[in-house]
Amino acid sequence: MIESILSHGIALGAVYALTGIAYNVMYSSSRVFSFTAGTVGMLGGVFGSVFISSMGMPVIIGFLLTVIVGALLGLFIEFVAARPVLKSLDQHLYVLSTLAVSLGMLQLTAIFFSTDAVPFPRIIPFETEFFDQKFWLPILACVVTVVGIEYLSRKTLVGRAFLAVAEDNYAARALGLPEQGLRMASFALAGVIGVVTGFAAGQMMFASLSNGPLFTFYGFVPVALGGMGSNRGAVIGGLLLGLFQQMANYFFGGVFASVAVFVVFIVVLLARPEGLAGAATARRV
Amino acid sequence: MKVTRRKALTGGAAVAAAAATGVFKPALANSEPIAVGYLPAFTGPSSSTGIGIGRGTELAIKEINDAGGIKGRKIELVMRDTQSDPTKAVNAAAELTRRHKVSVIWGPLNSGETAAVMANIARDKVAHLHPCWVDTLIDVKKYPLAFRSAPSNQQIGHAANHYVVNVLKAKKVAVISDASGYGTASLDAYVPMLKQIGGEVVYASSVDANNPDLKPELLRMQNGGAEAIMPWSVNAGFLARIINTRADLNWDVPIVGQTTLGSGQTKALLAKPENWEKVYPNNFRNLCYDPSGKLPPQTVEFVERLKKAGVSTSDTLLWWIACGYDGARLVAEALREGGTSSTELADYWKGKVKDWKGIYGTITFSPENHNGFADTDVIMCQANSLKDGAFTLAPGYA
Repeated sequence: MIESILSHGIALGAVYALTGIAYNVMYSSSRVFSFTAGTVGMLGGVFGSVFISSMGMPVIIGFLLTVIVGALLGLFIEFVAARPVLKSLDQHLYVLSTLAVSLGMLQLTAIFFSTDAVPFPRIIPFETEFFDQKFWLPILACVVTVVGIEYLSRKTLVGRAFLAVAEDNYAARALGLPEQGLRMASFALAGVIGVVTGFAAGQMMFASLSNGPLFTFYGFVPVALGGMGSNRGAVIGGLLLGLFQQMANYFFGGVFASVAVFVVFIVVLLARPEGLAGAATARRV
Repeated sequence: MKVTRRKALTGGAAVAAAAATGVFKPALANSEPIAVGYLPAFTGPSSSTGIGIGRGTELAIKEINDAGGIKGRKIELVMRDTQSDPTKAVNAAAELTRRHKVSVIWGPLNSGETAAVMANIARDKVAHLHPCWVDTLIDVKKYPLAFRSAPSNQQIGHAANHYVVNVLKAKKVAVISDASGYGTASLDAYVPMLKQIGGEVVYASSVDANNPDLKPELLRMQNGGAEAIMPWSVNAGFLARIINTRADLNWDVPIVGQTTLGSGQTKALLAKPENWEKVYPNNFRNLCYDPSGKLPPQTVEFVERLKKAGVSTSDTLLWWIACGYDGARLVAEALREGGTSSTELADYWKGKVKDWKGIYGTITFSPENHNGFADTDVIMCQANSLKDGAFTLAPGYA
């Protein structure tokens, strides 16, 4: 039981954490909370399955093509759902625009792919008795993403520019930083993180349309728990969520596992509305 | 009789009036095709069912028309593809009843779309035949002209419960469903039915279909001493996880339930092909191979006709084709024997269709019961036995 809780719990937690990071990357550069993060994650599994299983491409080619599709999807979302609503962020129109794009992508997937789950291919051609690749691949993807983002923001000029835009986009623009270009790059990056999530989780969760809403909702929880914009919070929140969900699965069972997750979520938000790792926002009075 | 000028004038006026009001029209109209509304989903997520049933429907209509039609009139299917979308189905049904003035509609062919159109077709007082399983899609009071040529969910559940308790002699049963409307409704309906026939339900729960780890649920079933698992879901991923987890636990209890257990989508998601052993989904007696590998004689003859007509069974299910074939024949027979108006068609079905031998099953309607399918025709089959669109009967059937 412990082994199952840990393997499934941490792997699921990594998936939620990655989806949370995708939410954060888009939010940091635009202040748009894009509900496309989970749907793009689902498409990672779908495109991986199509390229590798249906079209017979080698795994590495299939993966690279999936990453390219993810980046293009990110750019499309920025252009269609984020850019038009930037001037009226206070009206929260991005909720409608990003949800509309997300629903559109779900519908197209249902029409052109399948409403049923489809098998995802084995990525690495060997079997292990303990801790199968379907568990460690999402964890590896999460570690690589976190390290990559840390490196990008601390060691590269582009990363620092991202941070500047995230901190104060008006000031960043005044300093001559290409705010629009950086925003497009961040959406493309979020698209890549999204599809990598779905690709890495494909063996555990299949390539399935229903993963879209699942990633969207459960990926949102670590962001809210960890604090909006905090990747560290998203990772901790995601891993805790996965482990807690899996424990609830064993101890409460059935549909009560989901109920237990959201009860804890509400309790934490009541106690700490800014999230576990978030700082309370100062408000001018 | 003496013909007076007054009589001649009166007679002439009557003839002229009759001609003007169209009394003579039927003589001309009798050679026109009879329009039958037809609402399959040939595209979209439910299209595999629509394509299979469509093959049978079109073959039956072709055979009837080639044999001279209905009293010299051909049947013309006025088809609208619902695209697996209930909204489009509603619009298509309205077009058929109001613009094309059809007197009968066959379809839609899946429950979601049929649920959307039932009230509209009933309001337009058009005879309606469909093959959808959801219990509420037949209601003699609400939809007096609607009939079902397939089993209801009650019959599907009853057949599975009967197989588990009376054929497999499993007394302790675990019933699991996904958390969808279909899943929870099935769980609520079938658990009391199971208890009624002597089954002891040691586990009953609805679970999120996306939960990637069903081991805790199966461990609970195992700890309860379950001798059979009955999953109720149309989600292939959920069913495949149950089957794979049973194999991971080295547990060999039978899994008995809905037809999706035997679908190609479920098969594709199995970790190993041998995991499909001892999995028994619903099917239909007339369309299954017996233990010696033979189909019933009337089905063999039907398959031969399909081959001659070039209808493929390798990429679909034989029972879908048979369901379409029987549906079209029921409509044609009512048009021939009952009449062409909606009321005449419905009166024929409820008054004259008794022990009607179809390929799919035997059908009996009555004024009180518009669910025609015979209970005994719903059986269980072996999931891993699919060959040319048909399965082998599950062990234990004579």
